[in-house]
Amino acid sequence: MRDVAIIGVGMIPFGRRDEDGLMDMLAYASLKALDDAGLGAAGGAVRGSGKEPVGIEAVYVGNMGGGILQHQTAVASSLVDRINLLPAAAETVENGPASGGSAVKNGILAVASGYYDYVLVVGGEKMRDVTGWRATDFVATMTHPQVEYVYGLTLPGMAGMFTRLYMEKYGVTRDMLVAVALKNQEMGALNPYAHVEMALSREGIVDSPHSVVNNPTVADPLHLYDACPVSDGAAAIVLCPLDRVKDAKKPPVVIAGFGQATDTHTLQEREDPTDLKAVTLAAQQAFEMAKLTPADIHVAELHDAFTILEIAESEHIGFFKKGEGGKAVLAGKTCFGGSLPINVSGGLKARGHPVGATGVAQVVELVFQLRHELPKNRQVKNAENGFSINFGGFGNNVLSFVLRRVRQ
Amino acid sequence: MKELPITAYRCKQCGKIHYPFHDRCLACLGREFEAINPAGNARLLTYTRIYNLPWGFNERYLTIGIVEFENGVRATGQVKVDEHFPLATGMILKPSWEPVRVQAGENVYGLKFTPVG
Repeated sequence: MRDVAIIGVGMIPFGRRDEDGLMDMLAYASLKALDDAGLGAAGGAVRGSGKEPVGIEAVYVGNMGGGILQHQTAVASSLVDRINLLPAAAETVENGPASGGSAVKNGILAVASGYYDYVLVVGGEKMRDVTGWRATDFVATMTHPQVEYVYGLTLPGMAGMFTRLYMEKYGVTRDMLVAVALKNQEMGALNPYAHVEMALSREGIVDSPHSVVNNPTVADPLHLYDACPVSDGAAAIVLCPLDRVKDAKKPPVVIAGFGQATDTHTLQEREDPTDLKAVTLAAQQAFEMAKLTPADIHVAELHDAFTILEIAESEHIGFFKKGEGGKAVLAGKTCFGGSLPINVSGGLKARGHPVGATGVAQVVELVFQLRHELPKNRQVKNAENGFSINFGGFGNNVLSFVLRRVRQ
Repeated sequence: MKELPITAYRCKQCGKIHYPFHDRCLACLGREFEAINPAGNARLLTYTRIYNLPWGFNERYLTIGIVEFENGVRATGQVKVDEHFPLATGMILKPSWEPVRVQAGENVYGLKFTPVG
Protein backbone atom coordinates (compact mmCIF):
# COMPACT_ATOMS: atom_id res chain seq x y z
CA MET A 1 0.00 0.00 0.00
CA ARG A 2 1.33 3.42 -0.96
CA ASP A 3 0.96 6.46 1.30
CA VAL A 4 -1.80 8.68 -0.10
CA ALA A 5 -1.60 12.47 0.03
CA ILE A 6 -4.32 15.06 -0.32
CA ILE A 7 -2.86 17.72 -2.61
CA GLY A 8 -5.94 19.79 -3.31
CA VAL A 9 -9.23 20.65 -1.65
CA GLY A 10 -12.28 22.64 -2.71
CA MET A 11 -15.63 23.44 -1.16
CA ILE A 12 -18.51 25.77 -1.89
CA PRO A 13 -20.59 27.46 0.82
CA PHE A 14 -23.33 25.13 2.02
CA GLY A 15 -26.90 26.34 2.41
CA ARG A 16 -29.91 26.90 0.27
CA ARG A 17 -28.45 27.42 -3.21
CA ASP A 18 -31.50 28.04 -5.35
CA GLU A 19 -29.35 29.29 -8.22
CA ASP A 20 -27.33 26.06 -8.53
CA GLY A 21 -28.23 22.57 -9.60
CA LEU A 22 -26.51 19.41 -8.39
CA MET A 23 -24.12 19.33 -11.35
CA ASP A 24 -23.24 23.02 -10.91
CA MET A 25 -22.21 22.43 -7.31
CA LEU A 26 -20.19 19.30 -8.09
CA ALA A 27 -18.41 21.16 -10.89
CA TYR A 28 -17.59 24.24 -8.75
CA ALA A 29 -16.14 22.16 -5.91
CA SER A 30 -14.19 19.94 -8.31
CA LEU A 31 -12.57 22.85 -10.14
CA LYS A 32 -11.64 24.52 -6.86
CA ALA A 33 -9.92 21.33 -5.71
CA LEU A 34 -8.10 20.91 -9.03
CA ASP A 35 -6.94 24.55 -8.91
CA ASP A 36 -5.82 24.12 -5.31
CA ALA A 37 -3.79 21.07 -6.34
CA GLY A 38 -2.17 23.04 -9.13
CA LEU A 39 -3.94 20.81 -11.64
CA GLY A 40 -6.43 23.34 -12.95
CA ALA A 41 -5.15 22.85 -16.47
CA ALA A 42 -4.98 19.08 -16.22
CA GLY A 43 -7.35 17.02 -18.29
CA GLY A 44 -8.56 13.49 -17.86
CA ALA A 45 -6.28 10.57 -18.56
CA VAL A 46 -6.45 6.83 -18.86
CA ARG A 47 -4.58 4.84 -16.26
CA GLY A 48 -0.84 4.68 -16.63
CA SER A 49 -0.66 6.99 -19.62
CA GLY A 50 2.53 8.39 -18.11
CA LYS A 51 2.00 11.65 -19.91
CA GLU A 52 3.09 15.01 -18.54
CA PRO A 53 1.46 17.14 -17.40
CA VAL A 54 -0.40 14.65 -15.27
CA GLY A 55 -4.07 13.98 -15.75
CA ILE A 56 -6.87 12.84 -13.47
CA GLU A 57 -7.27 9.12 -14.01
CA ALA A 58 -10.34 8.43 -11.89
CA VAL A 59 -13.25 10.32 -10.35
CA TYR A 60 -15.39 9.13 -7.45
CA VAL A 61 -18.58 11.06 -6.71
CA GLY A 62 -20.42 10.62 -3.42
CA ASN A 63 -24.11 11.30 -3.90
CA MET A 64 -27.14 9.78 -2.22
CA GLY A 65 -30.19 11.33 -3.79
CA GLY A 66 -29.65 12.40 -7.40
CA GLY A 67 -31.89 9.62 -8.62
CA ILE A 68 -34.70 10.52 -6.21
CA LEU A 69 -34.44 14.28 -5.79
CA GLN A 70 -33.22 15.40 -9.23
CA HIS A 71 -34.34 12.39 -11.25
CA GLN A 72 -30.74 12.13 -12.42
CA THR A 73 -28.60 9.03 -12.15
CA ALA A 74 -25.01 8.27 -13.27
CA VAL A 75 -23.90 11.57 -11.78
CA ALA A 76 -20.15 10.82 -12.05
CA SER A 77 -20.44 10.18 -15.79
CA SER A 78 -22.14 13.54 -16.15
CA LEU A 79 -19.48 15.32 -14.07
CA VAL A 80 -16.45 14.12 -16.08
CA ASP A 81 -18.23 15.37 -19.18
CA ARG A 82 -19.22 18.69 -17.58
CA ILE A 83 -15.70 19.59 -16.41
CA ASN A 84 -13.96 17.67 -19.20
CA LEU A 85 -12.01 15.05 -17.37
CA LEU A 86 -12.75 12.67 -20.26
CA PRO A 87 -11.68 9.87 -20.63
CA ALA A 88 -11.01 9.32 -16.91
CA ALA A 89 -12.75 6.48 -15.12
CA ALA A 90 -15.79 7.70 -13.19
CA GLU A 91 -18.08 6.16 -10.60
CA THR A 92 -20.89 7.36 -8.40
CA VAL A 93 -20.76 6.04 -4.86
CA GLU A 94 -24.09 5.82 -3.03
CA ASN A 95 -23.91 4.88 0.63
CA GLY A 96 -26.58 6.98 2.31
CA PRO A 97 -25.22 9.86 4.38
CA ALA A 98 -21.84 8.10 4.31
CA SER A 99 -21.65 8.41 0.50
CA GLY A 100 -18.97 11.12 0.77
CA GLY A 101 -16.83 9.09 3.15
CA SER A 102 -17.24 6.02 0.96
CA ALA A 103 -16.15 7.99 -2.10
CA VAL A 104 -13.05 9.16 -0.19
CA LYS A 105 -12.27 5.59 0.85
CA ASN A 106 -12.60 4.35 -2.71
CA GLY A 107 -10.27 7.11 -3.89
CA ILE A 108 -7.72 6.19 -1.24
CA LEU A 109 -7.83 2.51 -2.18
CA ALA A 110 -7.41 3.35 -5.86
CA VAL A 111 -4.23 5.33 -5.19
CA ALA A 112 -2.86 3.22 -2.33
CA SER A 113 -3.12 0.08 -4.44
CA GLY A 114 -0.96 1.61 -7.13
CA TYR A 115 -3.69 1.34 -9.75
CA TYR A 116 -4.30 5.08 -10.22
CA ASP A 117 -2.00 7.99 -9.47
CA TYR A 118 -4.24 11.06 -9.62
CA VAL A 119 -7.81 10.82 -8.37
CA LEU A 120 -10.56 13.37 -7.82
CA VAL A 121 -13.14 12.68 -5.10
CA VAL A 122 -16.25 14.83 -4.93
CA GLY A 123 -19.31 14.72 -2.69
CA GLY A 124 -22.46 16.69 -3.30
CA GLU A 125 -26.17 16.86 -2.65
CA LYS A 126 -29.01 19.12 -3.71
CA MET A 127 -31.70 18.70 -1.05
CA ARG A 128 -33.52 22.04 -1.13
CA ASP A 129 -35.12 21.32 -4.50
CA VAL A 130 -37.99 19.71 -2.63
CA THR A 131 -40.26 20.57 0.30
CA GLY A 132 -39.26 19.66 3.84
CA TRP A 133 -41.58 16.69 4.05
CA ARG A 134 -40.27 15.32 0.74
CA ALA A 135 -36.68 15.73 1.99
CA THR A 136 -37.60 14.00 5.25
CA ASP A 137 -39.15 11.15 3.27
CA PHE A 138 -36.08 10.91 1.02
CA VAL A 139 -33.74 10.52 3.99
CA ALA A 140 -36.16 8.01 5.58
CA THR A 141 -35.73 5.71 2.57
CA MET A 142 -32.62 4.47 4.42
CA THR A 143 -34.80 2.84 7.07
CA HIS A 144 -36.09 -0.72 6.67
CA PRO A 145 -39.01 -0.53 4.23
CA GLN A 146 -41.27 -3.13 5.87
CA VAL A 147 -40.56 -2.80 9.57
CA GLU A 148 -39.58 0.88 10.03
CA TYR A 149 -40.36 3.16 7.06
CA VAL A 150 -43.98 2.03 6.78
CA TYR A 151 -44.74 3.43 10.25
CA GLY A 152 -43.50 6.93 9.45
CA LEU A 153 -40.18 6.46 11.24
CA THR A 154 -37.67 9.13 10.21
CA LEU A 155 -33.98 9.66 10.95
CA PRO A 156 -34.84 12.32 13.55
CA GLY A 157 -37.25 9.73 14.98
CA MET A 158 -34.47 7.15 15.26
CA ALA A 159 -32.26 9.78 16.87
CA GLY A 160 -35.07 10.62 19.33
CA MET A 161 -35.43 6.98 20.39
CA PHE A 162 -31.65 6.64 20.67
CA THR A 163 -31.38 9.83 22.72
CA ARG A 164 -34.01 8.70 25.22
CA LEU A 165 -32.06 5.47 25.86
CA TYR A 166 -28.68 7.23 25.96
CA MET A 167 -29.98 9.76 28.48
CA GLU A 168 -31.37 7.00 30.67
CA LYS A 169 -28.24 4.83 30.50
CA TYR A 170 -25.45 7.42 30.59
CA GLY A 171 -27.00 10.43 32.28
CA VAL A 172 -26.81 12.73 29.28
CA THR A 173 -28.84 15.84 30.08
CA ARG A 174 -30.71 18.41 28.05
CA ASP A 175 -28.04 20.93 29.13
CA MET A 176 -25.36 18.81 27.48
CA LEU A 177 -27.28 18.66 24.20
CA VAL A 178 -27.86 22.41 24.31
CA ALA A 179 -24.14 22.95 24.95
CA VAL A 180 -23.30 21.05 21.74
CA ALA A 181 -25.76 23.16 19.73
CA LEU A 182 -24.44 26.45 21.17
CA LYS A 183 -20.78 25.46 20.63
CA ASN A 184 -21.21 24.31 17.05
CA GLN A 185 -23.34 27.23 15.96
CA GLU A 186 -20.87 29.64 17.56
CA MET A 187 -18.12 28.09 15.42
CA GLY A 188 -20.34 27.90 12.34
CA ALA A 189 -20.88 31.65 12.59
CA LEU A 190 -17.14 32.03 11.87
CA ASN A 191 -17.08 29.60 8.95
CA PRO A 192 -17.82 31.14 5.54
CA TYR A 193 -18.75 27.69 4.22
CA ALA A 194 -21.44 27.13 6.88
CA HIS A 195 -25.13 26.91 6.09
CA VAL A 196 -26.10 28.56 9.37
CA GLU A 197 -23.72 31.44 10.06
CA MET A 198 -25.57 32.41 13.19
CA ALA A 199 -24.58 32.00 16.83
CA LEU A 200 -27.36 31.07 19.25
CA SER A 201 -28.14 32.31 22.72
CA ARG A 202 -29.17 29.84 25.39
CA GLU A 203 -32.27 31.92 26.11
CA GLY A 204 -33.26 31.65 22.47
CA ILE A 205 -33.54 27.89 22.51
CA VAL A 206 -34.18 26.76 26.08
CA ASP A 207 -35.88 27.85 29.31
CA SER A 208 -37.62 30.94 27.94
CA PRO A 209 -41.02 31.75 26.42
CA HIS A 210 -39.23 32.44 23.12
CA SER A 211 -37.65 29.01 23.09
CA VAL A 212 -41.04 27.31 22.85
CA VAL A 213 -41.58 29.02 19.50
CA ASN A 214 -37.96 29.08 18.30
CA ASN A 215 -37.05 25.56 19.23
CA PRO A 216 -40.03 23.22 18.93
CA THR A 217 -39.84 19.48 19.48
CA VAL A 218 -39.04 17.57 16.31
CA ALA A 219 -38.69 14.08 17.75
CA ASP A 220 -38.74 14.14 21.52
CA PRO A 221 -36.55 14.51 23.45
CA LEU A 222 -34.85 16.27 20.52
CA HIS A 223 -35.74 19.79 19.44
CA LEU A 224 -35.20 21.73 16.23
CA TYR A 225 -31.80 23.05 17.32
CA ASP A 226 -30.61 19.55 18.16
CA ALA A 227 -30.80 18.73 14.45
CA CYS A 228 -28.67 19.74 11.47
CA PRO A 229 -30.25 21.73 8.66
CA VAL A 230 -31.21 20.27 5.29
CA SER A 231 -28.62 21.67 2.90
CA ASP A 232 -27.27 21.99 -0.60
CA GLY A 233 -23.51 21.78 -1.03
CA ALA A 234 -20.45 20.07 -2.44
CA ALA A 235 -16.83 19.44 -1.49
CA ALA A 236 -13.88 17.84 -3.30
CA ILE A 237 -10.32 16.59 -2.78
CA VAL A 238 -7.48 15.53 -5.08
CA LEU A 239 -5.39 12.50 -4.12
CA CYS A 240 -2.04 11.21 -5.32
CA PRO A 241 0.78 9.03 -3.98
CA LEU A 242 2.84 10.88 -1.37
CA ASP A 243 6.02 10.11 -3.26
CA ARG A 244 4.68 11.96 -6.32
CA VAL A 245 4.24 15.20 -4.37
CA LYS A 246 6.85 17.62 -5.64
CA ASP A 247 7.41 21.25 -4.79
CA ALA A 248 4.12 21.48 -2.94
CA LYS A 249 3.20 25.07 -2.22
CA LYS A 250 0.98 23.94 0.63
CA PRO A 251 1.93 21.34 3.25
CA PRO A 252 0.73 17.94 2.03
CA VAL A 253 -1.62 16.06 4.27
CA VAL A 254 -1.58 12.26 4.27
CA ILE A 255 -4.41 9.90 5.01
CA ALA A 256 -2.69 8.03 7.81
CA GLY A 257 -5.56 5.67 8.49
CA PHE A 258 -9.11 4.84 7.64
CA GLY A 259 -11.77 2.38 8.70
CA GLN A 260 -15.27 1.27 7.92
CA ALA A 261 -17.77 -0.96 9.66
CA THR A 262 -21.46 -1.82 9.53
CA ASP A 263 -24.20 -2.68 12.00
CA THR A 264 -27.77 -4.02 11.83
CA HIS A 265 -30.14 -2.21 9.49
CA THR A 266 -32.84 -1.81 12.12
CA LEU A 267 -32.37 -0.24 15.53
CA GLN A 268 -34.70 -2.85 17.06
CA GLU A 269 -32.29 -5.72 16.36
CA ARG A 270 -29.33 -4.22 18.22
CA GLU A 271 -28.92 -6.02 21.50
CA ASP A 272 -28.04 -2.68 23.11
CA PRO A 273 -29.34 0.11 20.84
CA THR A 274 -27.09 2.63 22.62
CA ASP A 275 -23.97 0.77 21.48
CA LEU A 276 -22.68 2.31 18.23
CA LYS A 277 -20.53 -0.69 17.36
CA ALA A 278 -19.74 0.46 13.83
CA VAL A 279 -18.34 3.75 15.15
CA THR A 280 -16.06 1.93 17.57
CA LEU A 281 -14.85 -0.54 14.94
CA ALA A 282 -14.31 2.06 12.22
CA ALA A 283 -12.33 4.27 14.61
CA GLN A 284 -10.22 1.37 15.91
CA GLN A 285 -9.23 0.42 12.35
CA ALA A 286 -8.22 3.98 11.49
CA PHE A 287 -6.14 4.43 14.64
CA GLU A 288 -4.45 1.06 14.21
CA MET A 289 -3.52 1.84 10.61
CA ALA A 290 -2.23 5.29 11.58
CA LYS A 291 -0.36 3.87 14.59
CA LEU A 292 -1.99 6.55 16.70
CA THR A 293 -4.44 6.63 19.60
CA PRO A 294 -7.38 8.95 20.32
CA ALA A 295 -5.06 10.89 22.63
CA ASP A 296 -2.89 11.84 19.62
CA ILE A 297 -5.71 13.69 17.83
CA HIS A 298 -5.60 17.48 17.88
CA VAL A 299 -8.83 18.30 16.02
CA ALA A 300 -11.89 16.21 15.11
CA GLU A 301 -14.89 16.48 12.83
CA LEU A 302 -17.70 14.26 14.09
CA HIS A 303 -21.03 13.50 12.42
CA ASP A 304 -23.35 15.61 14.61
CA ALA A 305 -26.49 15.24 12.50
CA PHE A 306 -28.07 15.42 15.96
CA THR A 307 -26.43 16.86 19.07
CA ILE A 308 -26.57 13.50 20.84
CA LEU A 309 -24.39 11.97 18.12
CA GLU A 310 -21.44 14.25 18.82
CA ILE A 311 -21.49 13.13 22.45
CA ALA A 312 -22.10 9.43 21.72
CA GLU A 313 -19.51 9.29 18.93
CA SER A 314 -16.88 11.03 21.07
CA GLU A 315 -17.31 8.22 23.59
CA HIS A 316 -17.41 5.35 21.09
CA ILE A 317 -14.28 6.63 19.32
CA GLY A 318 -12.45 6.64 22.65
CA PHE A 319 -11.96 10.36 23.12
CA PHE A 320 -13.90 10.07 26.39
CA LYS A 321 -15.18 7.21 28.54
CA LYS A 322 -18.84 6.26 28.27
CA GLY A 323 -20.87 8.79 30.19
CA GLU A 324 -18.09 11.40 30.10
CA GLY A 325 -18.64 12.91 26.63
CA GLY A 326 -21.45 15.21 27.70
CA LYS A 327 -19.53 16.34 30.76
CA ALA A 328 -16.56 17.14 28.50
CA VAL A 329 -18.75 19.42 26.39
CA LEU A 330 -20.02 21.25 29.48
CA ALA A 331 -16.44 21.60 30.75
CA GLY A 332 -15.37 23.21 27.48
CA LYS A 333 -12.94 20.42 26.58
CA THR A 334 -14.38 20.10 23.06
CA CYS A 335 -14.74 23.79 22.26
CA PHE A 336 -12.25 25.83 20.22
CA GLY A 337 -9.33 26.31 22.62
CA GLY A 338 -10.23 23.18 24.59
CA SER A 339 -8.08 20.08 24.95
CA LEU A 340 -9.79 18.38 21.95
CA PRO A 341 -11.68 20.82 19.70
CA ILE A 342 -14.58 18.98 18.03
CA ASN A 343 -16.44 20.40 15.03
CA VAL A 344 -14.58 23.68 14.79
CA SER A 345 -16.24 23.96 11.36
CA GLY A 346 -19.60 24.13 13.08
CA GLY A 347 -20.13 20.46 12.26
CA LEU A 348 -23.18 19.22 10.44
CA LYS A 349 -25.16 21.23 12.97
CA ALA A 350 -24.05 24.57 11.48
CA ARG A 351 -22.07 23.85 8.31
CA GLY A 352 -25.07 21.83 7.16
CA HIS A 353 -25.59 18.29 5.93
CA PRO A 354 -25.93 17.88 2.17
CA VAL A 355 -25.79 14.15 2.73
CA GLY A 356 -23.46 13.06 -0.09
CA ALA A 357 -21.11 15.97 0.55
CA THR A 358 -20.62 15.63 4.29
CA GLY A 359 -17.91 12.95 4.43
CA VAL A 360 -15.79 14.87 1.93
CA ALA A 361 -16.46 18.23 3.61
CA GLN A 362 -15.19 16.84 6.93
CA VAL A 363 -11.92 15.85 5.24
CA VAL A 364 -11.63 19.25 3.55
CA GLU A 365 -12.04 21.00 6.91
CA LEU A 366 -9.33 18.80 8.45
CA VAL A 367 -6.98 19.64 5.56
CA PHE A 368 -7.58 23.36 6.20
CA GLN A 369 -6.72 22.76 9.85
CA LEU A 370 -3.62 20.63 9.21
CA ARG A 371 -2.27 23.07 6.63
CA HIS A 372 -2.62 25.79 9.28
CA GLU A 373 -4.33 28.07 6.79
CA LEU A 374 -7.45 29.09 8.69
CA PRO A 375 -7.98 32.47 10.36
CA LYS A 376 -6.86 32.68 14.00
CA ASN A 377 -10.40 32.46 15.31
CA ARG A 378 -10.81 28.98 13.75
CA GLN A 379 -7.28 27.59 13.51
CA VAL A 380 -6.42 24.96 16.09
CA LYS A 381 -2.83 25.79 17.04
CA ASN A 382 -0.15 23.37 15.87
CA ALA A 383 -2.68 20.79 14.75
CA GLU A 384 -0.85 17.82 13.22
CA ASN A 385 -3.35 14.96 13.46
CA GLY A 386 -7.04 15.16 12.59
CA PHE A 387 -9.89 12.66 12.77
CA SER A 388 -13.33 12.40 11.19
CA ILE A 389 -16.38 10.15 11.42
CA ASN A 390 -18.98 9.93 8.65
CA PHE A 391 -22.06 8.18 10.09
CA GLY A 392 -24.39 6.52 7.58
CA GLY A 393 -27.95 5.40 8.22
CA PHE A 394 -28.40 5.36 11.94
CA GLY A 395 -24.92 4.05 12.55
CA ASN A 396 -25.28 1.04 10.26
CA ASN A 397 -22.46 2.10 7.93
CA VAL A 398 -19.68 4.25 9.34
CA LEU A 399 -16.36 5.50 7.97
CA SER A 400 -13.47 7.09 9.82
CA PHE A 401 -10.32 8.86 8.72
CA VAL A 402 -7.10 9.88 10.44
CA LEU A 403 -5.24 12.66 8.62
CA ARG A 404 -1.68 13.77 9.36
CA ARG A 405 0.25 16.86 8.38
CA VAL A 406 3.47 15.90 6.61
CA ARG A 407 6.51 17.43 8.25
CA GLN A 408 8.67 19.01 5.58
CA MET B 1 -55.56 -12.33 21.74
CA LYS B 2 -55.79 -12.49 17.94
CA GLU B 3 -52.58 -13.63 16.26
CA LEU B 4 -50.67 -10.83 14.57
CA PRO B 5 -50.09 -11.41 10.83
CA ILE B 6 -46.35 -10.85 10.97
CA THR B 7 -43.66 -13.48 10.99
CA ALA B 8 -40.50 -13.50 13.03
CA TYR B 9 -37.78 -16.11 12.70
CA ARG B 10 -36.06 -18.21 15.39
CA CYS B 11 -32.71 -19.68 14.38
CA LYS B 12 -32.91 -23.48 14.58
CA GLN B 13 -29.23 -23.64 15.46
CA CYS B 14 -28.86 -21.09 18.28
CA GLY B 15 -32.37 -19.85 19.05
CA LYS B 16 -31.78 -16.19 18.25
CA ILE B 17 -34.98 -14.41 17.21
CA HIS B 18 -34.98 -12.19 14.14
CA TYR B 19 -37.46 -9.67 12.85
CA PRO B 20 -37.21 -8.81 9.98
CA PHE B 21 -35.96 -11.86 8.07
CA HIS B 22 -32.26 -12.50 7.51
CA ASP B 23 -30.91 -15.21 5.22
CA ARG B 24 -28.24 -16.04 7.80
CA CYS B 25 -28.52 -15.83 11.57
CA LEU B 26 -27.07 -12.62 13.04
CA ALA B 27 -25.50 -14.66 15.84
CA CYS B 28 -24.33 -18.00 14.39
CA LEU B 29 -24.74 -17.74 10.57
CA GLY B 30 -27.30 -20.57 10.63
CA ARG B 31 -29.59 -20.72 7.61
CA GLU B 32 -32.58 -22.57 8.99
CA PHE B 33 -35.31 -20.78 10.89
CA GLU B 34 -38.58 -21.60 12.58
CA ALA B 35 -41.37 -19.11 11.80
CA ILE B 36 -42.94 -17.64 14.94
CA ASN B 37 -45.53 -14.95 15.64
CA PRO B 38 -45.06 -12.20 18.19
CA ALA B 39 -46.92 -13.39 21.29
CA GLY B 40 -48.60 -11.65 24.20
CA ASN B 41 -48.25 -8.04 25.24
CA ALA B 42 -45.17 -5.96 24.57
CA ARG B 43 -42.79 -3.96 26.74
CA LEU B 44 -41.88 -0.48 25.49
CA LEU B 45 -38.09 -0.25 25.10
CA THR B 46 -37.90 3.30 23.74
CA TYR B 47 -40.11 5.78 21.92
CA THR B 48 -40.34 9.22 20.37
CA ARG B 49 -43.03 11.60 19.24
CA ILE B 50 -42.24 12.83 15.74
CA TYR B 51 -43.60 16.23 14.70
CA ASN B 52 -41.82 16.65 11.35
CA LEU B 53 -43.40 13.81 9.46
CA PRO B 54 -42.39 12.57 6.04
CA TRP B 55 -44.40 12.87 2.87
CA GLY B 56 -47.39 10.55 3.03
CA PHE B 57 -48.58 11.44 6.53
CA ASN B 58 -51.15 14.13 7.30
CA GLU B 59 -51.11 13.75 11.09
CA ARG B 60 -49.70 16.53 13.27
CA TYR B 61 -47.47 14.03 15.05
CA LEU B 62 -46.87 10.31 15.39
CA THR B 63 -45.70 8.39 18.45
CA ILE B 64 -43.39 5.56 17.45
CA GLY B 65 -41.77 3.01 19.70
CA ILE B 66 -39.63 -0.11 19.75
CA VAL B 67 -41.11 -2.92 21.81
CA GLU B 68 -40.25 -6.43 22.93
CA PHE B 69 -43.04 -9.02 22.97
CA GLU B 70 -43.36 -11.62 25.71
CA ASN B 71 -41.73 -14.25 23.47
CA GLY B 72 -38.72 -12.04 22.72
CA VAL B 73 -39.69 -10.68 19.29
CA ARG B 74 -38.71 -7.03 18.91
CA ALA B 75 -40.63 -4.71 16.61
CA THR B 76 -41.27 -1.07 15.78
CA GLY B 77 -44.78 0.34 15.61
CA GLN B 78 -47.07 3.27 16.28
CA VAL B 79 -48.24 3.93 19.83
CA LYS B 80 -51.85 5.06 20.23
CA VAL B 81 -51.61 7.79 22.87
CA ASP B 82 -52.36 11.47 22.76
CA GLU B 83 -49.69 14.13 22.94
CA HIS B 84 -49.81 14.52 26.72
CA PHE B 85 -50.00 10.88 27.74
CA PRO B 86 -47.21 10.10 30.24
CA LEU B 87 -45.56 7.36 28.21
CA ALA B 88 -42.48 5.75 29.78
CA THR B 89 -39.99 3.07 28.83
CA GLY B 90 -40.87 -0.26 30.43
CA MET B 91 -44.65 0.26 30.05
CA ILE B 92 -46.69 -2.74 28.95
CA LEU B 93 -48.58 -2.26 25.70
CA LYS B 94 -51.28 -4.27 23.95
CA PRO B 95 -50.61 -4.86 20.25
CA SER B 96 -53.13 -4.58 17.41
CA TRP B 97 -53.05 -4.77 13.61
CA GLU B 98 -54.48 -1.62 12.10
CA PRO B 99 -54.01 0.85 9.25
CA VAL B 100 -50.76 2.76 9.86
CA ARG B 101 -50.69 4.87 6.69
CA VAL B 102 -52.47 5.37 3.39
CA GLN B 103 -50.70 4.81 0.08
CA ALA B 104 -52.38 5.43 -3.28
CA GLY B 105 -55.72 5.62 -1.52
CA GLU B 106 -55.29 2.22 0.14
CA ASN B 107 -54.79 1.49 3.81
CA VAL B 108 -51.45 -0.04 4.72
CA TYR B 109 -51.68 -2.21 7.84
CA GLY B 110 -49.11 -2.57 10.57
CA LEU B 111 -48.46 -2.76 14.31
CA LYS B 112 -50.08 -0.36 16.73
CA PHE B 113 -49.81 -0.45 20.50
CA THR B 114 -52.04 0.78 23.32
CA PRO B 115 -50.99 1.08 26.98
CA VAL B 116 -52.49 -1.65 29.16
CA GLY B 117 -54.66 -0.53 32.04
